[in-house]
Amino acid sequence: MIRYVFVTGLVVALISSLATAKSPIVAGFERFHADGSPRGGRLLATELGCVNCHTSGDKTLLVKQGPILTEVGSRVRVSWLRKYLSDPHATKPGTTMPHVLANDPDAKDKVEALVHLLASTASAKHDRAKGAAAGRDLYGKVGCVACHGPRDASGKEGTLLPSSVPLGDLVSKYTLPGLTKFLQNPAHTRPSGRMPKLLDDKMAADVASYLLQGQKMGVQGGTGTTGYKYYQGSWDRLPDFSKLTPAGEGVASGIELAVATRDSDYAVIFEGYFEIKKEGKYSFVLNSDDGSKLYIDGKLVVDNDLIHAPVAKRGETELKVGVHSARIEFFQGGGGAELTATINGPGVKNRPLGDLLSATKDTVGKSTVAKGIEGDDITIDPALVEKGKGVFASAGCASCHTLAVKGKPIESGRKGEALVKLSEGKGCLSDRPGMGVPVYGLSDAQKKALASAIKALPEVKASKEVIAETMTVFNCYACHARDKVGGVQPDLDKAFQTVQPEMGDEGRLPPPLDGAGAKLQADYLNQILNNGAHHRPYMHTRMPGFGGAVPAPFVAALKESDKLPAIAEVKFADPIGKVKSQARYLSGGTAFGCIKCHTFNGKKAEGVQGIDMTLMPQRLERDWFHAYIANPQAVRPGTRMPASFVLGKSVLPDVLDGTAVQQIEALWIYLKDGATAQAPAGMTGGKYIPLVPTTTAILYRNFIEGAGARAIAVGYPEKMHLAFDANGLRLAMIWQGDFMNAGRHWTDRGVGYEPPAGDNIVRLHSGVPFAVLKSVEEVWPTDDVRKLGWRFRGYTLDDKERPTFRYALGEIEVQDLPLPEVKGKATSLKRTFSLTAPAGTQEITYRAAVSNKIEPVGDGAFKVDGTWTIKATSARVRKSAGKDELIVPVSFKDGKATFAVEYVW
Amino acid sequence: MKTIRFSLAGLLLTALFLPLELASAQKKKGPVKSAGEEEYYKILTFTPPEGAVVEGGAIEVLPDGRVAVGTRRGEIWMLENAYDTDPKNAKWTRFAHGLHEVLGLSWKDGWLYVTQRPDVTRIKDSKGTGKADTFECITDGWEINGDYHEYAFGSRFDKDGNIWITLCLTGSFNSSSKFRGWAGKVTKDGKFVPTTSGVRSPGGIGMNAEGEVFYTDNQGPWNGTCHLKHVKEGGFVGHPDSFKWYTDPAAQYLGAAPMVPKSGSRIVTEAKRIPQLIPPVVSFPYGIMGQSASGVECDLSEGKFGPFAKQLFVGDQTHSTLMRCFIEKVNGRYQGVCFPFKAGFGSGVVPVRQGKDGSMFVGSTNRGWGSRGPKPFAVERLTWTGKVPFEIKEMRAKPDGFELVFTKPADAATAGDPKSYAMSCYTYIYQGAYGSPVVDRTTPEVTKATVSPDGLSVRLEVKGIVEGNIHELTSKGVKSKDSEGLLHTEAYYTLNQIPKE
Repeated sequence: MIRYVFVTGLVVALISSLATAKSPIVAGFERFHADGSPRGGRLLATELGCVNCHTSGDKTLLVKQGPILTEVGSRVRVSWLRKYLSDPHATKPGTTMPHVLANDPDAKDKVEALVHLLASTASAKHDRAKGAAAGRDLYGKVGCVACHGPRDASGKEGTLLPSSVPLGDLVSKYTLPGLTKFLQNPAHTRPSGRMPKLLDDKMAADVASYLLQGQKMGVQGGTGTTGYKYYQGSWDRLPDFSKLTPAGEGVASGIELAVATRDSDYAVIFEGYFEIKKEGKYSFVLNSDDGSKLYIDGKLVVDNDLIHAPVAKRGETELKVGVHSARIEFFQGGGGAELTATINGPGVKNRPLGDLLSATKDTVGKSTVAKGIEGDDITIDPALVEKGKGVFASAGCASCHTLAVKGKPIESGRKGEALVKLSEGKGCLSDRPGMGVPVYGLSDAQKKALASAIKALPEVKASKEVIAETMTVFNCYACHARDKVGGVQPDLDKAFQTVQPEMGDEGRLPPPLDGAGAKLQADYLNQILNNGAHHRPYMHTRMPGFGGAVPAPFVAALKESDKLPAIAEVKFADPIGKVKSQARYLSGGTAFGCIKCHTFNGKKAEGVQGIDMTLMPQRLERDWFHAYIANPQAVRPGTRMPASFVLGKSVLPDVLDGTAVQQIEALWIYLKDGATAQAPAGMTGGKYIPLVPTTTAILYRNFIEGAGARAIAVGYPEKMHLAFDANGLRLAMIWQGDFMNAGRHWTDRGVGYEPPAGDNIVRLHSGVPFAVLKSVEEVWPTDDVRKLGWRFRGYTLDDKERPTFRYALGEIEVQDLPLPEVKGKATSLKRTFSLTAPAGTQEITYRAAVSNKIEPVGDGAFKVDGTWTIKATSARVRKSAGKDELIVPVSFKDGKATFAVEYVW
Repeated sequence: MKTIRFSLAGLLLTALFLPLELASAQKKKGPVKSAGEEEYYKILTFTPPEGAVVEGGAIEVLPDGRVAVGTRRGEIWMLENAYDTDPKNAKWTRFAHGLHEVLGLSWKDGWLYVTQRPDVTRIKDSKGTGKADTFECITDGWEINGDYHEYAFGSRFDKDGNIWITLCLTGSFNSSSKFRGWAGKVTKDGKFVPTTSGVRSPGGIGMNAEGEVFYTDNQGPWNGTCHLKHVKEGGFVGHPDSFKWYTDPAAQYLGAAPMVPKSGSRIVTEAKRIPQLIPPVVSFPYGIMGQSASGVECDLSEGKFGPFAKQLFVGDQTHSTLMRCFIEKVNGRYQGVCFPFKAGFGSGVVPVRQGKDGSMFVGSTNRGWGSRGPKPFAVERLTWTGKVPFEIKEMRAKPDGFELVFTKPADAATAGDPKSYAMSCYTYIYQGAYGSPVVDRTTPEVTKATVSPDGLSVRLEVKGIVEGNIHELTSKGVKSKDSEGLLHTEAYYTLNQIPKE
């Protein structure tokens, strides 16, 4: 009875697994050979490991080894091993591993033995996830997505392309330290290079954290944990949490937004306790996108609320020795999401606050309980391990996988017939595989392809074939096109982004490899194939490293098939030093202007930051350098690189002999000096253009820090200067000493705001300058100046080019003349206002200063914040909206009024 | 000999590097500075005073003979004796300073109207000192937020007394400040009226002989290449981020925003769906006819600038060239052709302005954007030598092909031989991503060429013309009656519509 049930169960399991099984996914097959061509069969023969059992005499096959399992216990979870070995295709749809125990009546026992064997190789390590947000960003940007397809914010698989290599349920499969270690050096586990190294150590940890989000670690408090409450909703500021019901709560690993189950419209509260061992002042920096607040012991310390891009805010508080509570409230609208909190104080140097918190008061100072994951408990049974070794050999696991026990790899006990001796429709290709036959779940096209390949394995001899097969096997085609084959697939195009959108596609998409053999030196090709590279700093993606797995014939084939006409040796009349000097001039800002778009030994270019010039002779073939610079569009259609030569003639005919070949060769020789070459002419300095008023005033209209985008700075020979904000209609700043440095705005593209070049800067208040107040208590209007109807009308200049600013509210017109005054050693800036208004206008009020503290010091003078003085006749101080305001009533007589204020600082 | 060797090498490279489909397009170099251009048009170079940095952003010609040059540094320089045959005789005076990137100048009744980043300000020398002392802000109906890309280009006055403005997008991608990505007019009473959405990154604005307004827009999002576009009230010219301002009170008179175009489509396809969308009048093939289209100026000299009366001359900043455009109206909309015209300006061409004697004043800069012209800036004047080059003066669309009009009678045998011509046809993707590769390439065939009795025109019957695409015509075999070859053999017609008759 029992036996009967068991067999039935197995049959049911088998049938259902066949029904739902997905055929193995080999990216190159699905994308280029889905019709089942013989070349596709050749590809499958290596990628499915056929030739690992069924030997072939073809030495050009790029044999693929399975993952090395010697330390598999440290990275793969026991529960997953059990599930996967019981039914690989159901557990990881698209897997290339066959089900070797599919028709085996003892499968269950054998699987258990294998699980004990694999789990005995190493014990699993656990860690808390950190940096999932950064990992999400990386996964989408650096290139993971090109082979593995998109994933959602929580790390779950999105809608894959037919050729996406599926990753399966990673959360169930990996431990965090295991996946991190794997991503840090994939070749250590998978030496055949199908999974290249794309990430540095930190990036690998972040991506692993992102992929394993939601893995329930059994964190139960202890240092580095918090209690969290998660809410869903749409807000533009932090909500009143007391009125909300959480959508989830529990214990989190520190302050980690991964507790959110979606990308936008949510809020989280993290609470925890920490111990202070030294009394003193502690500061906290709260960085978030969008808003957040930090409370310490119930007191608001940092307020970083509202919708914004990542913004860091600081706050501080005194803390006594003992245990304190921290509460961080955070909400996310749309777009990017970020939250970090750091603490700094006696004995604590800028530590992430999340690392110090404990979810409960009684676990403060105790180590985190994060021992394992539910379902992964196993007590290794030595007898089962021993049995597992036998199964590992007899089932043929060892034909693809290396598993060394005490340094000695288990040998496979299974040998297939040679590939040439196989026949269609039999064995693995059979529709009903018999006992002991590995079940691949092959699609009809795959069967067709393999059948034709075993009949006659297509040869790979010509360079073109070597290149195409290598690019298919290693999935270079996921990113690079060559001969109109491959390249980024349209559905993934958006994932490839740039830090310099102005460069267009050139700045974001990996380059096509047409002509790459003629372009790049063999050594460089080998170096980037082995180690990867990120030599295009403007591109988020980068070249992954295949760790020596790409065989030498690939580079040889590229060099063989891509050739350019050789450029003969170039002879110069000038000595070589002079040739280099001319080349330095050519590359500089007043000649070809290479420095406008290319960095030089890390020095920034003026506009976009293209590939570094000193890298060029390390990467490029000289013939290619000549061809490209002579005619960029011919070599790289659509490139933004401008041509400096027309029909072989230089636009600078007087340099060297004026020919393209001489000038380009000179550049080549010059750049070969690399870092030791003197940077191109104009590359350094040039950003300093001081504006110095000598006899007349200088006006400088531009983006001025502290005075806005529509600022008008005025420099006076008296070395007192000002910036007027023509949008806010206010004197924004006054200062002394140097006036302005125009270097930022008058070189390159003029990006950003420039502060005053001088010192003793006084920043004045904003808000509408004049208002009609109905009573002495009426609060000063807070509306935008333009919204209130005020308009800038321009200015007039006197004979020393000193401006009188004009602005108006309808028929009320203001003339505002600032003038420096020098009386011996005493200096000041006097501002004379002349107003006109329609007849009948009685009084208007001018607000001369707003500050925390304004005190009368006699003689119509007022000290502001104890630092500078303003003189204003008949002015008075009033308290309004929590500040001191200096108010000047202005009375009209026959529609006219005049008054003055004077700044002494 | 040298020339032949080079083009062979070019072909070889092409074959090696390019997918076959693209290869034929790339045989051609950019607009070639033929040895012959100088014979017909000469560049005269002015020398600014020692220390002055005159990166031309706008040029205006004054009735009293002075020429005003507005600069990126916010200065306005006046040139006297600007028409002297020796440019060294020009006298430079700084008329004003302290303005914010001058990209538009227009003279009226003693005032110089300056279009600068945040506003239009009119300025005047009221005391006769030679320096402006009165600066009156006329309008500031748009906004800036401190992003360097938020440029404002201004035209001269149109016949109704309006100044037309184009406003670059924030960062050239988005419309983060009011009316960024719009064109509009500043009326006589100082009101800014936004008229046209969809602007991306303009390089210049001008008018044709009929007074219609045209501006250039540059390759980038929703612009597969650089274009000359028509500014029409109520129109939409391509980039939809500007739509957010349709609800602003100043734009509400235009009604609701147009439908958002579908990224990845073709612009004429979208124009059939979106009635407000006006496809580019002329598309400049990228890398061939420049890479950064700029100033627009019409030849209104009635022959003083040569045989191209009423045609538009368009600058290119990267290639430091002037291109020539002939446009016609088909089914009520402008479309037309561009030709290479003159290469070799000192720096990246921005403003172009015709002087009183018909010559063209050209200002240039390469600050931040590299240019083929090697100088950091230049102020130049292009004059006609009086000799008529053998050129295709006009290229007109016909239901079954094109008509070419020559500047001089053509030789009937060569001009009448279909083998004297070759045609290639392609377009660019209309998409939100930056730029576009060349797509939809075909090779129409010139099947018949019929020369008019006077030899001044030829009718080309062409098999396989494609609505919406650029038709690149090469007329290498055509000779004049005096056996001259064409000074420029290439023409690029943007065939948005095929005329019915």
